[in-house]
Formats: sequence, structure tokens, C-alpha cells
Amino acid sequence: MLRFGPDHGPLVAIALPLFEEANRLRSFAVAICRVLATRGVASILPDLPGQGESLVPLERCSILDIADGFDCATKDAWNADRRCYGVALRSGALLEKLALLDGRWHFAPQDGPSLLRDLKRIKQASQPHSRLVDTDWYFDPDAPDDQLDPPVEIAGNLISTALLTDLSVYAPWTREDGGTVRTVRLDTDPAPADRHVSGSPLWRRAEPGNDLTLARLLADDIADWVASCER
Amino acid sequence: MTAQSLSQRTITHKLGLAVISEDYDRIDATLRSTLHDVLGLGEARTAALDADTALFGAMPELDSMAVAGLLTEIEERLGILIEDDEVDGEMLESFGALVRFVATKTRR
Repeated sequence: MLRFGPDHGPLVAIALPLFEEANRLRSFAVAICRVLATRGVASILPDLPGQGESLVPLERCSILDIADGFDCATKDAWNADRRCYGVALRSGALLEKLALLDGRWHFAPQDGPSLLRDLKRIKQASQPHSRLVDTDWYFDPDAPDDQLDPPVEIAGNLISTALLTDLSVYAPWTREDGGTVRTVRLDTDPAPADRHVSGSPLWRRAEPGNDLTLARLLADDIADWVASCER
Repeated sequence: MTAQSLSQRTITHKLGLAVISEDYDRIDATLRSTLHDVLGLGEARTAALDADTALFGAMPELDSMAVAGLLTEIEERLGILIEDDEVDGEMLESFGALVRFVATKTRR
């Protein structure tokens, strides 16, 4: 887990998106954390179960296992009586549901069904000569009934069918679920948001990239939002 | 048909063409910026895209993995839904073919 900024005051816990997008946005998330530190806001960037240097393989994770990992990462803040805010990038917004947070800030949040469509397209692209069925495409019909369903390999990631099933129904936390939620999107995304900003969707790029201007802009937005929540 | 109603029909027809033209311009611009953002095309290559520019199979950045991200990004930006069975080599053959495909989706 990476830690930035002071060891006191409110803490921002960053949830990277699931799967490949986590790799594409890691440098960007670190850039956000560094700017937050210059604004005097502490942050952590945990490796959640199945991500980065986690010892738990992704194929053994359901979405609750990963969300539980995020909750554990924020426990230190609670034990130290520090207020803790969740900052989620893309499908990271699906991973902060178990954590007790003082507020949630989402950038370009992606819901589970949309991510599942993405994964299906990627899987289909890897096997152009056999058409995937419309629903439940991730179950192997030839798997023995008395054994766990085998994980599915998608773009180099082995993903459990439990996690894929979770995605079919999971949505990010909203204001209706309670508490403070702020949503920021790119101005190319017409979905409702508290703010639209210009920048590139780094999560779509084949190679990990960075956008320091956007990172600075978002970090300022987060720092201002945390300050407004603290008043 | 009276001269007045004929004139009204002409105006309506011209307005309809103008709306379709505006629609095409909006789709063209959105697809251009989506290809720029998703594939990391430079400004010059993005500006040089025209109806005959070959895409899938000709543009090295647009491999089958990139197609998945491109389609989802197009869906998000234009508020459309592209069914899996609609995705074929023809719609991605050229920039013009992609614009025409998306135009049929947005008009439904």
C-alpha cells in the first residue's frame, strides 16, 4: 500500500478500477496522491485482493472479497480517529460499498453491467470464430456439476464466475444510498455529474499513460471537496 | 396541392436535411475525438480521417482488443447501445462506414 501526505487529518483512500484498467490508471492515481499531499491531504493507494502485489489471486475473489480488502485498508484511519473519504476511479466505485466512509468521490464511475459488457466484448474478440451466448456466457456448460465453475480467462486475467455474476447487478454508491457523494466525469461523457472536466480517458489506452494536468485538476477538486465536508 | 403547402413541404424537407446534416456532423466529430482518445491518434492523423480512411485491419492501433473499448466509448458518448451481433468487419471497414452505422443507431 502506498501512503502519501501527513500522518494526521482526514485521509483519502483511493480505489483503483478492476482488472486491466487498474494498471492503466495506477500512475495517474499516484499523480493525484502527490498533488493531494502538496495540498496537505493524506492519501493511501491500497493493493486490493487480486490487484497489484496482493497475495490473493484474482480468480479466488468475489466482489465482496475485494470490497472487504478496501474496508480493511481504511481501518487504520478509523482506529486513529481520522476521518476517511473514498475516492474511486471508474469501477473502483463498486469496491467501496463495505467501507465506513465520511464521503465518496467518484471519477467516471462505471457500473457492473457496463463493465461486464466490456469484458464480454474483449472475450469475444479473443475467440472470433465462436459466438458467445447472450447471457451467462462465462459459465462453462461442460464443467462437472459437482465442482466449482472454473474461472474465465479474459485478456490475461483469470476471473471467477462469482465475480462476473456480481458485476451483472452491482452499481456504484449513490446519494440515495446515503451520505455525501460527488461525481466528476469527462466532458465527453454526457451522463449526469456534479462537474464535467476536459481530459482523456486513460483507461481506454492500450499502454498505461498519464495526464498530469487532469491529475492536478482532480486533486484540487478532491482537496476542495474534502475541505467543504470538514467544515 | 396549393402553392403554399408545396412551399411548406419544401421548407420542411430542407429543415429535415439540415437536421440530418447536423446529426452527421455531430457524429463525425464525436467519432473523430473518440478514435483520437481511445487509440491515441495524433492531431494530424485525426484531422486526416475521411470517409475512405480504412480502419479495422489497416490501422495498427485498432486491434480486436481496442475495438471492445472503442465500441463502449462510442456507446457512452452518444448514448446508444450496440448489440454484439451488429459488430462486424463491415461497420469498421472505414471511417465513413462507422459514421453511417452510428447514424442509423442514433436516428432510431
